[in-house]
Amino acid sequence: MKIAIRLVIVIVMAMAGTWLWSVLFPTPQHVIRARLNEFARDASFTSSQSTLAGYLSAQTVGQFFSTNVEVTLNLPGNPEFIVSGRDQIVQSMIQAHAAVSELEVDFPDLNVTLAPDQNTATADLTIRAQIDGERNSLAEEMKFTLQKIGGQWLITHIESVQVLT
Amino acid sequence: MSLKPDNSSPSPPPLPPGSPNSRSWLRVIVIGRNWKLTLCRTLVWAVLCIIIFRVALVRVEVIGFSMLPTCPEHSKYWVNRCAYLWHEPQRGDIVAIRLAGIHEMLLKRIIGLPGETVAFSDGQVLINGAVLKEPYETNSCDWEQPPEALTNDEYYVVGDNRTMPAQDHTHGRCPGYRIIGKILK
Repeated sequence: MKIAIRLVIVIVMAMAGTWLWSVLFPTPQHVIRARLNEFARDASFTSSQSTLAGYLSAQTVGQFFSTNVEVTLNLPGNPEFIVSGRDQIVQSMIQAHAAVSELEVDFPDLNVTLAPDQNTATADLTIRAQIDGERNSLAEEMKFTLQKIGGQWLITHIESVQVLT
Repeated sequence: MSLKPDNSSPSPPPLPPGSPNSRSWLRVIVIGRNWKLTLCRTLVWAVLCIIIFRVALVRVEVIGFSMLPTCPEHSKYWVNRCAYLWHEPQRGDIVAIRLAGIHEMLLKRIIGLPGETVAFSDGQVLINGAVLKEPYETNSCDWEQPPEALTNDEYYVVGDNRTMPAQDHTHGRCPGYRIIGKILK
């Protein structure tokens, strides 16, 4: 019985140690995942948000992108959507605030791959969006390219992935 | 002659609640007579449940109407992820197709197998030029699509609801690695 208790204590301590290590010294993959989830939270807004709050929120979302970001989306049933530059992203977000009353974004699946140079990464993810409370208005696979600029991981490129061709 | 109570073998007095003996039956119910055996049994059940409900089967809820009338919206199914361990996906199978992971998937029916040519003519599916009989397809369809050749690792998937225009219906060639499993109906 004593051995079993000791074994359980050792396992619990090892798990706690691993968790603490990952909190204190997160890997770049962890940092990127956290940043993208933060991006999803900031890109979401509710109907109660004022126009000014929406404007400020769009500015906040812009900080996740590099200045020369490129977004190319080919969504089924929609024309190709291309946006270049951070300013256009912010403008698109402001327009989105005006066009829809509620948007909820999350990434239920998020796979991060770090390039050998440790300064570039790609995130293959599923983006799920609820527009105006409509359940699963959008669920698409996308590929985000991120680059470490000034100590921060910024999105430099977004493209949609064609699951069925 | 008078009768006196026999005090030579007195019955044990009732145990007060909370005494060690009154707790023993509770212990037997909770952890069994042999705690080691109970622990092993619990671990085996836990591992089995994890394998079955996390690895082998995935619960999905249908969102959308591309698989009507076979799979109505909000209906729930299990996807058998082990279905294609021993054989390749078959024509007519309803399969789950993963996006970046398995939290969001597409639910489609396989109509074309690797190496075949798939086309739509007047709403009918043509496989290598021959009409495919689809008993599950009850709705009218007017799709026209030129022949598409599938590679050796591609399947052609489409929903059962083809009443909508083809450009609004997500369908096409799907690489084999994206097929997660077959739904259990």
